[in-house]
Amino acid sequence: MTTETEKDPNKGYIALLGWSLNAIEAIDRFDRRYVVVAPDWARQYAEDNGIPYLAWSFDRLNERSYELGERLKEMGVDVAVPLFEETVEWAGAVNAVLLDNPRLMNQAFLFRDKGMMKRRAQLGGIRVGIFEEADHKEDVVKFLRRVNSALLKLDGDPNDPIHLKAFDKAGCLGHRVIRTPEDVDAIPDDEFPCLLESHLDGWEFGVEAFVKDRKIQFLNISEYVRLGYSVFVPASAELEKWRSRVEEEVEKLIEAFDVDFGFLHPEYFVTSDGKMYFGEVAYRPPGFNAFELIERAYGFNAYQAMALMFDPKATAEEVEGFFPKPVVDAKGHAGTFGVYPRRRVINALEIPEETEKDPYFEFHELAPPLENKVTKRSAFGTHWGLVYFFGDDAVRMRDVLSRQEELDYYV
Amino acid sequence: MTSVDGRPAEAGATTGADGSARLDALLDKLDHAIARLEDARPFAKRQRAGGPLDLARRAMAEPGGVEAVYDRIRRLEGAGVFHDTDWANPGILHASIAAQTLRLADPATATLEALSQLRMLAVSRGVYFHPGLSSEQAANFLAQTIGLNLDLLLSGPDEAQRSRPGQIGDVLRHLFAFIVGHVDPAEVVDQLIAEIWRLLAQRPIVVEEIKSMISQIAAWRANDETTGGAATHGRGGWGADRLISAVFAPTAGCREDPGLEVYGARLAAMDDAALAQEAAGLARSMHDTGLASAYHAVFLRAALDRAPTDFIGPALGLSATGMDAYRCYRDLVRALIERAVHPETAQAIYGLALMLERGVLYQPSVGPGLWRQIGLKLAPAPAERLRTRYGTARAPEDWLLAGVLSVLGQPLGVGQGNNPTCQAARALSMWAFADPDYLLQIVAWTARDDRLVMAFEGAPISSDEAAAGLAAQAPADVDPVSIVAAPHLDRIYAEMGRRCAERGGDAHRWVNPEMHGWWVGRGCALAVDVATGRLDRYEDFVRRFYAVYHPLHNGGQPVIHPQPAGIAMTDAAARYVGWHAIAIYRVALDQEGVMRVYFYNPNNDSGQDWGDGVVVSTEGKGERFGESSLPIADFAARLYLFHYDPLEVGRPDSAPADEVAAIEAAARRSWAADR
Repeated sequence: MTTETEKDPNKGYIALLGWSLNAIEAIDRFDRRYVVVAPDWARQYAEDNGIPYLAWSFDRLNERSYELGERLKEMGVDVAVPLFEETVEWAGAVNAVLLDNPRLMNQAFLFRDKGMMKRRAQLGGIRVGIFEEADHKEDVVKFLRRVNSALLKLDGDPNDPIHLKAFDKAGCLGHRVIRTPEDVDAIPDDEFPCLLESHLDGWEFGVEAFVKDRKIQFLNISEYVRLGYSVFVPASAELEKWRSRVEEEVEKLIEAFDVDFGFLHPEYFVTSDGKMYFGEVAYRPPGFNAFELIERAYGFNAYQAMALMFDPKATAEEVEGFFPKPVVDAKGHAGTFGVYPRRRVINALEIPEETEKDPYFEFHELAPPLENKVTKRSAFGTHWGLVYFFGDDAVRMRDVLSRQEELDYYV
Repeated sequence: MTSVDGRPAEAGATTGADGSARLDALLDKLDHAIARLEDARPFAKRQRAGGPLDLARRAMAEPGGVEAVYDRIRRLEGAGVFHDTDWANPGILHASIAAQTLRLADPATATLEALSQLRMLAVSRGVYFHPGLSSEQAANFLAQTIGLNLDLLLSGPDEAQRSRPGQIGDVLRHLFAFIVGHVDPAEVVDQLIAEIWRLLAQRPIVVEEIKSMISQIAAWRANDETTGGAATHGRGGWGADRLISAVFAPTAGCREDPGLEVYGARLAAMDDAALAQEAAGLARSMHDTGLASAYHAVFLRAALDRAPTDFIGPALGLSATGMDAYRCYRDLVRALIERAVHPETAQAIYGLALMLERGVLYQPSVGPGLWRQIGLKLAPAPAERLRTRYGTARAPEDWLLAGVLSVLGQPLGVGQGNNPTCQAARALSMWAFADPDYLLQIVAWTARDDRLVMAFEGAPISSDEAAAGLAAQAPADVDPVSIVAAPHLDRIYAEMGRRCAERGGDAHRWVNPEMHGWWVGRGCALAVDVATGRLDRYEDFVRRFYAVYHPLHNGGQPVIHPQPAGIAMTDAAARYVGWHAIAIYRVALDQEGVMRVYFYNPNNDSGQDWGDGVVVSTEGKGERFGESSLPIADFAARLYLFHYDPLEVGRPDSAPADEVAAIEAAARRSWAADR
């Protein structure tokens, strides 16, 4: 029930950077003391619910990052855990102070700049696609042409698309697919500078790697059914075949980025000729509530696992005992689907009857629409809410998730 | 069975086996979701409750699902599915709102309500022991909800219900089928009718809910006659005729419920003898039931223009006392009817009749006060609250005037509704009873100025400056006077409490006399020590109560003014529920020679079982309309605070020792168990 969890003063004191109710809830149930560092708007809620809280504005990293580190140090905090892309560099700065290791600050900058990140990976002997930084629209057109001429396309052949991503945003935010020079005109100027990447035809998937003492303690592969829409955990047998290769690649990342501890969320492509390409890596919990999926499938709480990885006081025995065996210990496959309205004018939220009756469907977190008109999506935007599924068969899970793309949740 | 590509089989082809496989899968997921909610911290409950709720809804849409969810209802509540919602505290739920929610709400809210119904069933059957709800309360609630949903219960959901999103139509069909499996509809109807009569015996001012239950019964009987069901075979429906006729056909002139216009035309064609018959029929029906029909309003308005014979007195069913008051204040009464009595506001007729009978018009300030009320213009805010509650067919001024008549005629009919404002309801009721011109003044201030200033120990408190009261929102489900005045009283009451917060001891000691009137005794006896919550010189407390209030121990002195008092509320299992405000009106022998305390309880339904054999009576034991009563020893065993005049303390040693000891034992068996 909801009895207080005993907090063990011999274990680490954790600062969570950013406000995530799921994370706070998980750490509140964990045996470690904690404090949530979040903007002022969270104060009332934190006070009302007895959540340990420190107000902080994360707008821009500045000289005050040192001040936050010192404040937390005075409080006796051992380590800071970033919950969002925007707080990754703050965690680096704060941990540089708390753990007396200035290198962590620079490491955090690598995670925050997708261009630098790729270059660093390349230097570490990791295979990446072609990429370039762009400052203006002209750079985008030039890159599109160069990539397609390298592919020996003739005039009139359909172009291979290229991808445009913001340097410092999480997941699909600011991600555009560019096929023609006309697509380039639609890019607002304020999205520059940004990163350009060639398109890789292949199977994309995400990895959640819990790292301690430079070793992978637990690795999960999240199978993307369709990027930006659906994902499930653990992956199908077909994808799990790649596990040992994936582990090798993540170990390369650990070396290249000099990661002693923490949590890595890289994304990879496997192309039809069996080559693995590195896409990008994040140092914070993945989107699409993948942590909830891991908990649903494996029964352990991934936020607690993350805190354990960061905690300098965690013992090897505790880490050893915390994780189940990958894949074999999973009770089933947990999947989630991000809903976007398919119609331009909508009136109501209505779960498709077919989904309602599907035995894999668990529940949804969708809200009724507040407006009737749906704004046109230009980039991969934010979904309107998640729908959760759980079942035994990975193949059926994949089918159910991809079927959802054809159904109307908002009518 | 759902095929691999995710497409469901044809709906009609769903077999029992496939359905039950699907139900099993849903229940697996439901159990997991409940476990996850159980683990959640309080601040995350609301967010996590969505899963169990959605799964419960889908399970209930499957055959057999309602029963499976019923088996889990205790776990669902324990895990927190009601956490932070209106359903968290079942004691405040309202059957009429529940019925509306089931019928109209979005799937998630309707599911919460369905779960709440299952909880009521579990508690009423004694399989779920609930701290905030007695099994009697639950059974009454269930009977009322069923009463308001008889059509769903007996004929299943109609097309509009079936086409609701989220399979809610199926959920409701299964839910009511399950409930009917545990309760007999004819029995429910009988229980409901008994319930209505029991409520009417307390003569509440707000009767919309009762009237709507009566219309449901009328529809059920009409339906039942055509289908040859229970009602015509002698089972179910006893006592329904009088209720139905009181609302829809009180006299020979409207026996077939012809509509108000037709009735008006018939009246115009009637001679004096026929009109006298109508007047007597209307009056009898109203005084029998406490319900006034819309036809009654049509008659009274017609009677205003009728000369030379005046049928107003007979139509109000006045006694010699009432007739005398009418004759003395004929212009005023006719003006009141002109403004306040319409088909929509017909219930005010009953208040008008009783107000004349009480003779309050003979108090010199009441008549002029009512003339002020007739001409009173409302401030925008109270006018808006009245419109929200009663619609725009009549001006808010008319509704308020009608409400004033009801309150002056039925002071003990004021109820707190579904709001934590028992103090405000008690104050309004007490003033209507003992100080009617003051009540009129309070109404004028709050309605016209939307502001009320009361003094607390000489320092003014203004309701528009005081911080929030006990109620988060202005009460909406109450009578017009309460709608206008209660929010102000609530805030002032809370502010008075705040000003005593530092003093130590129970704030009511100072607040009650300042708030309610000069006659509230400045002495205040408390059964418990506020700091520790433990019993404090309890024997002295009981002896003092007897010496002040018991006529055989206080020199035969009846209670002069109603006195506020505090009760330790207990449920039917005699477990402590909370402190509650009531007022002592009389202490007297009943017809069987038992000394009883007659008191006012601002709860809408005062007939309550307080456990350990203490059952509050509302009729048949010498109660006047609206009074509750208990033998004085039973009453004393639940009392924790009363007021008295320190100069009139009587002889505390006069109470018999064995009775005092029995009272202490009864208190310790119930609310004072660990005090």
